[in-house]
Amino acid sequence: MSIVLVGVNHKSTPLAVRELLALSDDACATGLRSLVDGEIVREGLIVSTCNRVEVLTETAAGRLNESTERIIEFLTRANDLPRSQFEKELYQHTDDQAVRHLFRVASSLDSMVVGEPQVLGQVRRAYSIALEAGTTGRILNRLVHHAFRVAKRVRTETGIAANAVSISYMAVELGKKIFDSFAGRTALLIGAGEMAELAARHLINAGVSNVLLANRSEEPARALATELGGTPVPFNRLTEHLSRADIVICSTAADDYIVTERMMRAASATRRNRPVFFIDISVPRNIDPAVGKIPNVFVFDIDDLESVVSSNIREREREAQRAELIVESEIMQFQQALRALESGPAIGALKQMFQDIARHELKRQRNRLGPLSPEQEASIEALLLSTVNKLSHPMLSQMRHSSDASDAEIIEAWRDIFDLED
Amino acid sequence: MRSLLLAVLAAYVVAAIHAVLAFINKRRALQRVSEVALAMGFLLHTGALAADWIIDGHYPLFYLRETLSFLAWTLVASYLLILYRYRARPLGTFILPLVSVLVFIAAVAHSPTAGPTNPIAVRDTWLFPVHTTLLFFAYAAFFVVFIASVMYLLQERELKVKTFGAIFHRLPSLTTVNEIATSSAAIGLTLLTVGIATGMIWASSRDGRLWHNDPKEIFAALTWLLYVSLIVYRSSAGWRGRRAAWMGVAGFALVLCTFFGARMMGGYHVFG
Repeated sequence: MSIVLVGVNHKSTPLAVRELLALSDDACATGLRSLVDGEIVREGLIVSTCNRVEVLTETAAGRLNESTERIIEFLTRANDLPRSQFEKELYQHTDDQAVRHLFRVASSLDSMVVGEPQVLGQVRRAYSIALEAGTTGRILNRLVHHAFRVAKRVRTETGIAANAVSISYMAVELGKKIFDSFAGRTALLIGAGEMAELAARHLINAGVSNVLLANRSEEPARALATELGGTPVPFNRLTEHLSRADIVICSTAADDYIVTERMMRAASATRRNRPVFFIDISVPRNIDPAVGKIPNVFVFDIDDLESVVSSNIREREREAQRAELIVESEIMQFQQALRALESGPAIGALKQMFQDIARHELKRQRNRLGPLSPEQEASIEALLLSTVNKLSHPMLSQMRHSSDASDAEIIEAWRDIFDLED
Repeated sequence: MRSLLLAVLAAYVVAAIHAVLAFINKRRALQRVSEVALAMGFLLHTGALAADWIIDGHYPLFYLRETLSFLAWTLVASYLLILYRYRARPLGTFILPLVSVLVFIAAVAHSPTAGPTNPIAVRDTWLFPVHTTLLFFAYAAFFVVFIASVMYLLQERELKVKTFGAIFHRLPSLTTVNEIATSSAAIGLTLLTVGIATGMIWASSRDGRLWHNDPKEIFAALTWLLYVSLIVYRSSAGWRGRRAAWMGVAGFALVLCTFFGARMMGGYHVFG
């Protein structure tokens, strides 16, 4: 048997092609049923997200090419595309490479933003679709569960997902370092721009309970206030609002400072020096950098946020190298589990075969033995079975041993000698 | 008794190592090991102190060995309270190694069998245990203020200059460390006040004098003044953040002088 993975991702293929190949959940389910024929492709799973379309299959031994062909054909059919349009974009991984690829995808090492958490959910979803379609079996079940385990290890043992890598999320993260929790905090939005709205939504999700909106023209502020569940406040009494706000997000088109040091000193005195966190996402800046010199006031402009974000990305990349080591060691463990999975039935079948031979011979010779009591009959059978078991024991334990020691060839040889199905 | 103290030491060392590793690797499982070891160590330690008290017949705060062991015990008790109240685990990373060192010295230090510096007066009064216990808990509280203040200053600096080191993501938030520092300072000051008061009562009952101009007394008074001003400024003028944190650091320097200074400068507070 082989594990085969064929697909495209954001690194191999431009979006224009990826979007043509993408499959809906329903298309995945029906597609899988037609793809898995039980003979060439025995198990299958499709991961289709905006960054990747990948078909993972378990294929009969020695029928790799047929299987790949079948997958390409399936993609052609499912998307109604000429194969010339995407065929050369596809990558194909087999066995260990395919296992590595799946482990890396599930652990978010293959993602556009390394460490992003969504991809694991997407793989889970793909698996549950395949499970429902009945196209996963012994091997893929084991493989996918192993992939979940790897993802969990990577997440808990490395800092791959530790630090924020988007600006609006970064704002929440920094806020948490200052305030611990946002419950009961007040945010002031100056300007009703898109970026400010996004940051405000993140803060509200994080627990900010009170949002004030100040905008030069009142209409947009009122509209955004209803949308976010905030309160519009007059723009000209900014100092007053500043004294109430724990978090200030500023994004106006003004080309001058809107919050000056003097305003903030006054506001800070009123709020008895409780900490304030400023996020200035406007260009040119709207908050005087001198405001950041006031004690307990922390000002971050767009450049500050971006440089923190990029240092976090570098940090994630360093952690990703540690994650790769985990993936490699897990691949070895999976190989071992797979071999046990494979050789287990073979050993069992062989044992069964020997015992069947013994029973069959007993039945053949039974008539010549004349009448026997049930105890005598039972002890003859026991005698035969224990002889067979004792004779075959060294051989079977040798087989078990070679499966542990990863001698795939020896296992194959055993199979051939006794003509076992695989 | 020493074997019991060695068991305590072992538990604290395990707790300290796991707390440091948990801090570095951000692993929950390690933290749990640390907390279980710490709880076990604390129970054993409490037992060891109680046994000392019963067997030796004096409150176990007399010789250097006892003093250090008792100080470690108060630190652990304070840390456990903080864990319970704030879940501020990173403090353990700094407190537990110190606790381990204190217990280690206590375990190897020799205590004289019968000291000439074991005045009967100390044995007889109930004020001795009260006076010393209160002050030791006050020292522990001020140490917590110190650690929390250092954590505050480190993070505040990083937030102001906007470069974040490895330690940044591992410390509790500014608000949390500020709160820990404030409430520990208030508790410490209360304990210090009552502790000094009991000392005065005790002194006046012995020789009729409240004040001896002893170095320890002078430093204690300075410490008291500093923490009073810290708390007064905090509540009246809204002093917080950096300035308060620096005071927490300076206050602890005074506490160290109070604790060790008397030993070096002599005076009437010097015992075994």
